[in-house]
Amino acid sequence: MEATATYIKRKSNGQITIKSGNKVERVIRWTLILLTLLTVVAFMFFNYAGLDLAKAIPETAYNLKTMFLEPGLSHFSWGEAIYQVGITLGLAFLATILGAVIAFFLALMAATNLSNRWVSKTIRVVVAFIRAVPTVLWVLIFAISAGLGSEAAVLGMLFHSIAYLVKAFSEAFEEVDKGILEALRSTGASWWHIVTHAILPSTFTYLLSWTFLRFEINFSVAVAMGAAAGAGGIGFELFMASGFYFDLREVGLITYMILLLAIILEIISTRLKSRYFPATSTN
Amino acid sequence: MSLVKVEKLGKSYNSQTKVLKDISFEVGSGEFVSIIGPSGAGKSTLLRCINRMVEIDEGKVIFDDLDVGSLNKKELRKMRTNIGMIFQHYNLVPRLSVIENVLHGRLGYKTTLQGVFNKFTEAEKEHAFFLLKKLGIEDHAYKRCDQLSGGQQQRVGIARSLIQEPKIVLCDEPIASLDPNASKVIMDYLKSITMELNITCIVNLHQVEIARNYSDRIIGLSKGGIVFDGPSYRLATDNTDEIYGTKTVETRKLVTV
Ligand SMILES: Nc1ncnc2c1ncn2[C@@H]1O[C@H](COP(=O)(O)OP(=O)(O)O)[C@@H](O)[C@H]1O
Ligand SMILES: [Mg+2]
Repeated sequence: MEATATYIKRKSNGQITIKSGNKVERVIRWTLILLTLLTVVAFMFFNYAGLDLAKAIPETAYNLKTMFLEPGLSHFSWGEAIYQVGITLGLAFLATILGAVIAFFLALMAATNLSNRWVSKTIRVVVAFIRAVPTVLWVLIFAISAGLGSEAAVLGMLFHSIAYLVKAFSEAFEEVDKGILEALRSTGASWWHIVTHAILPSTFTYLLSWTFLRFEINFSVAVAMGAAAGAGGIGFELFMASGFYFDLREVGLITYMILLLAIILEIISTRLKSRYFPATSTN
Repeated sequence: MSLVKVEKLGKSYNSQTKVLKDISFEVGSGEFVSIIGPSGAGKSTLLRCINRMVEIDEGKVIFDDLDVGSLNKKELRKMRTNIGMIFQHYNLVPRLSVIENVLHGRLGYKTTLQGVFNKFTEAEKEHAFFLLKKLGIEDHAYKRCDQLSGGQQQRVGIARSLIQEPKIVLCDEPIASLDPNASKVIMDYLKSITMELNITCIVNLHQVEIARNYSDRIIGLSKGGIVFDGPSYRLATDNTDEIYGTKTVETRKLVTV
């Protein structure tokens, strides 16, 4: 009786544990507790001097009302606005497409089932490092050599997109049934044959959805870059309207435009996928 | 003359256990050989040593007068075009059509660029249709492979290996995921390959009865060593007991109780 019981792990209250990774869970729990505490503490250290809540709340409400219920343009025309949105879209598009192509090749080298162990490890580490630094910082880093503007923004976004997509793509590649790779290898197929005839057909829809997702992210980043790094586009207009002219109506309108565009992008991506790649919806 | 010659073959995946030890046998052209043995005996590993899907540690494998272990990458690819392989789980690319999957068997004959850009000749495509027709699945040629039944998928697997125009076909438990009817169909096709095309077949099986019915010769594997090698009619209960490490009488008793 005693001997059989030794394999059973129990919690302090006598219940039988069914999870194996105790240490990991403990670390996660403590991290969450710590973060909650830090958030609460941080709020207590804010500078509340001169803040009159009774006045601040109604004023914020009034500002929000002007912003979102009475939107309008005053400093530039509709044509101009649409042109600026086009620039922002262009920035995001450029960074995403270039990023996806480069990431595809790097991901082939990073996937453990397609590459040698050391090459794959090296790429993974480098890419993890790039991802750990926020896009905005990369843009600013590139701004040192390229100057603030759209070049630095595209480079920074490209850099981060590559790192993000390499991880996503290589994980999709690794999911491919290794029997399929074995079958092709056993016919004498070369590495590129396997990539084009087994890996690509099996993962194409995943690659596409990851790229769309990244495009959405890049679009919002491009808006922010317009404001923060002078990359132009609708983000820059938003920055001018809010920080320079204090024109709440214009801020409201631009926000609506961005929102509308995000919805349109979402609709297009869903349509494209279900139309040309029904595989993901049927499986 | 023997087509495959295995000499004192040894293999281990890690330093603790030897998966194969001191395996020697020869297989001639057009022979139908079954390898039987319990799970983990090393059947799959042995099969994969022949086309070097796993590296050979000790001893030698000679295929068609080539020392398999010493080939470089290019020579190995060339040799593999002569060896077809059939798998328990068919290993087709599920999202591609049947015909595309069959044509994958020709990739070994292609340069990288030809293969990448799908340059298959009309003769190859016609050959593919010819094989599909022979295997009775011509009408499914443009279906996606994941829409076929297991037996049909395995026939696509057979077509893919035959279009290689191989000298030998290695089958790793080709019927282990199939029902008895589909199993019979597949085994009949494999048998006819050896009879009509004089292609050698080495088949891993775990159904002793099927091995006995179809093969010319049976090799019994247990714990990485050969414990029986002879014509199938000579395989007796004693031999299967040794291969599977059971006592037939006792298991019968257990079952009746
Ligand atoms: N890739 C591998 N890495 C490590 N051990 C393996 C690998 N493949 C097989 N083995 C081990 O080798 C032994 C024989 O396996 P296998 O050849 O698949 O036997 P069988 O096909 O007869 O069931 C098993 O003990 C298995 O655990
Ligand atoms: Mg096996």
